Formats: sequence, C-alpha cells, structure tokens
Amino acid sequence: MSSDSSNANPVNRKPYVQKQSANWWLQNRYYRFYMLREATSVPIFGYALLLIWGLLRLSQGEAAFTDWLALMQHPLMMLFHLLVIAAALLHAYTWFDLTPKILVIRLGDFRVPDRWVKLGHYGGFVVTSAALLCLALLFIKGGA
Amino acid sequence: MSNAIDNSTNPKRYGRSHEPIAWSLFGAGGMVVAFIIPVLALISGLLMPSWPADSLYQNLLGLTQSWLGKLALLAVISLTLYHCAHRIYHGLHDLHVEANQTLMLVLFYGGATLCSAVCAGVLLII
Repeated sequence: MSSDSSNANPVNRKPYVQKQSANWWLQNRYYRFYMLREATSVPIFGYALLLIWGLLRLSQGEAAFTDWLALMQHPLMMLFHLLVIAAALLHAYTWFDLTPKILVIRLGDFRVPDRWVKLGHYGGFVVTSAALLCLALLFIKGGA
Repeated sequence: MSNAIDNSTNPKRYGRSHEPIAWSLFGAGGMVVAFIIPVLALISGLLMPSWPADSLYQNLLGLTQSWLGKLALLAVISLTLYHCAHRIYHGLHDLHVEANQTLMLVLFYGGATLCSAVCAGVLLII
C-alpha cells in the first residue's frame, strides 16, 4: 500500500486482504472448468476478426475474396475453425445450463421448470442451426 | 503531513458502473455465440471454402448488399466481439493480470467498439 493511502481511505485502518495465488484456478476441476469456459472467448474473438477481414476482402473484389477463401483452406485454418466450433459448443452447453437460473418464467402460481427452459433452448439451437445451414446451402452455395 | 480526514478536498466519489451496459451486451452476445457461431463457423470455415468460388462471390455480395444481410452480419459480429471482450477483460482479472483499470476498459470494450465500427464501415461501402 502506498504511503498516502490514508487520504484516499476515509477510515484510517489497515484492512486484511486475503492473498490469492495467481494459479488458484488450477487447484480443482471446477475452477479449471470455469477457466476453460472463460477461455472459449479467445478463439471466438479471433473468429469474429476473421469474419470482418473476410468482409473487407469481399468488398475489394472477386480476386481479393478468392485469396481469402484460399487461405481458409489451409490446414491450420481448418484446425482453427474446428477449435472455434468446439469452443462455441462448450459455451452453448454452459450457457444453456445457466439460462434457467436467469430466465425464471412464472405462469400464475406455476413456475416453468428449469428443465423445460433448458430443453427449449436446445430445441432452439437445433432449429437455428438447421435453418441457417439450409439457407446457406440454398442461397449462398446455390450454383444456379 | 497530516493524516486527518478532509472530505471537502477529498470527497468520496461513486462513479457510475459500466457493468449494466457491458453485461447486457455480454448477455446478448452470449445468446448469439451459443445459437449462431457453431453453425456459422461450420459454414464459413469448413464448408464455404470448397464451394464454387464465382457463384459464392456473387451470392455473398448479394447478401452483404441487402440491408437485412448487413444488419444481421453486423449484429452477429459486434455482439460476439462484445461478449468475448467482456469475458477476456474479467478473465485477465481472474488471472491476476494487474493493469490500470481504465486502460483495460478502453482496450477491451473500446477494441470491440472499434472492430464493430470497422465492420459497419465495410458493410456500408460494400
């Protein structure tokens, strides 16, 4: 603590600050899983940047976009996309686990069970994924 | 130097928290990442590169030149960025990465905002 901390602190005292080691999250599997869940955001952030870059190349014409597509065929890029998919699926699993805790639906005296809220989200996930895949195959791939 | 408490020169000030705005963007982004990113990464990363390039270019140009397409892409990309920036910001705190808090806020939420602005700019000129 700095010497003038008593000026910033209206109460002149020395609070006890419990030390926490920087590797606290390695100590049990719940903490490790928590960190893994938080870490899913790193590859997904990179994926979002990759998409922006792809849009930029698309705006620069067909040759530039084809260059970007060729780069996406590199084995390391394919591996990166597999990692992104795995990270996003892990995120989805944990996200749907916690939504019933935030999304509490009451119908009169009846509280919609957590299981239903969760199942609804899984249903939505399947429908959204299938719909986007079909739309892409029909309108983005579309050779015709 | 006196240690006496002088609230007239050093009033206790409560700044407004950034959390409500940051958390709503994080929450909306969490939904987008859960529902859309898995299938989007499958399409854009694993399927699209092997699709016929000339019609793919025309179709994607058509998508990004429609207002619905522009809006959807911007929403998905920017909410994903805000979601991830929020997680990385708090994750670094958990990992005891000590840095100036204002700098970290500007770096992460500002970075997500800047990247979203670039994305919006590209979508506007496309």
